[in-house]
Amino acid sequence: MDSRSALFSFPDPYDLEGSRSLFLQAIEENVRFHYNACPEYRKIAQARGFSPHPLQTERELAELPILPTILFKRHDLRSMEGKKLLITATSSGTGGTPISIQFDMGGLFCGLRMVLRLGRYHHFFSPIPTNYIVMGYKPRRDNHTAAVKTAFGATLFTPAIRRRYALLYRDGKYVPDLDGVIQAIVSYSQSSLPTRFMGFPSYTYFVLHRMEEQGITVKLKPGSKIMLGGGWKQFYAQQVDKKALYALAKRVLDLSEKDFIEFFGAVEHPILYCSCPNHHFHIPVYSRVIIRDVHTLQPLPYGCPGLVNLITPMVKGAPLTSVMTDDLGVLHEPNSCGCGIPAPWLELLGRVGLKGLKTCAAGAAELLSEVKL
Amino acid sequence: MILANGKLYENRQQEEILSRLEKEIEETRRTQSLSPETVITAVDRLRQRALDGEFDALLAPFLQTGLGPLIQKVLAAMSRESLTYRMQAELGGCPPPVVRTTPPMEQQEVEIRPVPLGTLLHIAAGNADGLPAYAAAEGLLTGNVNLIKLPQADSGLSVRLLWELTAMEPALADFLYAFDTPSEDVAAMKKLASIADGISIWGGEEAIRAVRALAPPGAKLMEWGHRLGFVYISGWENKEEEMRQLAEHILSTRQLLCSSCQTIFLDTEKEEELSGFCREFLPFLEQVAQKYPFVSMGEAAEVTLRRLDRELEGILSDTPLPYFSPPAAA
Repeated sequence: MDSRSALFSFPDPYDLEGSRSLFLQAIEENVRFHYNACPEYRKIAQARGFSPHPLQTERELAELPILPTILFKRHDLRSMEGKKLLITATSSGTGGTPISIQFDMGGLFCGLRMVLRLGRYHHFFSPIPTNYIVMGYKPRRDNHTAAVKTAFGATLFTPAIRRRYALLYRDGKYVPDLDGVIQAIVSYSQSSLPTRFMGFPSYTYFVLHRMEEQGITVKLKPGSKIMLGGGWKQFYAQQVDKKALYALAKRVLDLSEKDFIEFFGAVEHPILYCSCPNHHFHIPVYSRVIIRDVHTLQPLPYGCPGLVNLITPMVKGAPLTSVMTDDLGVLHEPNSCGCGIPAPWLELLGRVGLKGLKTCAAGAAELLSEVKL
Repeated sequence: MILANGKLYENRQQEEILSRLEKEIEETRRTQSLSPETVITAVDRLRQRALDGEFDALLAPFLQTGLGPLIQKVLAAMSRESLTYRMQAELGGCPPPVVRTTPPMEQQEVEIRPVPLGTLLHIAAGNADGLPAYAAAEGLLTGNVNLIKLPQADSGLSVRLLWELTAMEPALADFLYAFDTPSEDVAAMKKLASIADGISIWGGEEAIRAVRALAPPGAKLMEWGHRLGFVYISGWENKEEEMRQLAEHILSTRQLLCSSCQTIFLDTEKEEELSGFCREFLPFLEQVAQKYPFVSMGEAAEVTLRRLDRELEGILSDTPLPYFSPPAAA
């Protein structure tokens, strides 16, 4: 077994210390692979004076060539060709150009092991058949967005008896069908089985809000859950309203805060981060996070805010070993959460951007995006 | 934070405030009125306190970004002289005079007097901190009840200034409401719009269309649209000085005001003169840029990411970057 497979089969998904040497070894293998297989990666590495070598400490991870996610928008960077590439995942493209990433079969198996292990750890699995409300796109053959895959994939945690999608494909485009979803929720609430929600937080919020406006409240069966996922973007934008969403779910569905499970991940870094009972995203053994200074890109200690650099040896199809997101975040010290998971946890603070620069239309533009929905 | 009747409330009390808003405003409009003199006195006193340094801690972040001169301008606009002058220029007097006139054809004498429109909803501009407070002052001067939807980026400065204003002059309290309602709370936005007789909005055509959709049939829309500012250069008198001033203008306004220069037109037939101008102008921009640094972390991060990206693009394309050599990142 190569070290990547060994890492993704590691028993405790949050034992970062125990898996450290395996992680470093897997990273070295992964870097060496991309260095040899992807000409662009090699070129960037060489220009930075970097060549693959055995890693002794986690500190050395900071020296790996970092590719910003925006680079994948303009370049089809890949380290494998043809049949070995199993699927193409595309970001939802809410921020403009979508990103397409090539996945290899081995990486996908790693992903599967990761999901199984984390799912078991966080008790996502249940043998009880479940009704699903998917707050996302209904899968179609030509829709490659990762959000579709995650949302559909999550309906596999328990046997799904029904699935209802919030975004339906009609006349060549996706349209939200919130009222259809509300009808489904009402009918599911009369079923003797639990209901799970999965998908974009914003749609979940809108559906519950509309239910409240219409005076519809239901009592879902025990074991019902709201699973929030999607891109990162939706997440931090909703941060301020999370408490409001919990309260809304209590009023409308009779679900409590502990029935919420949050996820995040990104096409450029397909690691599954699951929220702990304190709603924190702990770093699993499959990845490391480096927070970097916004001026110098130097690694920062725990507790300091900066740019979020994500590292994983999961993918061979494209050089995703160390990617720089356009998110700002803080990494909190190990054992600082209190939930019992020792691993450090990542808090997303927002997105980089010239948002301090506002034109006079900024106030109205904020409104616009919402009224259109 | 919400300001209503001169008191500050938490956002979670929004629903309760909204539910009694219409009744409350009706009551205010039935029983109270505002004279321009009351408003001018209060605004001028607020300005005086700002000049005395009372709000320095609040203003410090803006002073750091080199926006000091802009704040001076805003303070000047809040002076008794400026406010009285505007009333005079725009409404014919302070207070606006009542005109008696007799229409022809033996009609009866009529009296023309400006009256408040009623309730104004300001969807405030997001590009100048504290500007929403000024917009509210204008609405008060004309005797209206003002509902201010603050831009999400408002740093709390506006609410604080408005609160100070009502604390100093309790007569203003019932005429001022400020909400930092998130825009996704469409229900709250609709509620605010439904009470308004007039909606003042800054934005492009699309945004205005969206607000029209929110507005009740009778409400007037007061639109402040996009403007494109430009500089037209047909020659120089003192090239160096003029280039420096142009750079200063571009950087100090961040090109964000309707009146700031977003485009430079150069009167020439030759393309090489264009690139020549760019080459010559860049050092001026770079030098002045140091006076106006990006202070927010998001902005600095964006600039750093763009540099990293350009650097990698340069490596991948084997081409030197024109006019720009990024400092080594990390």
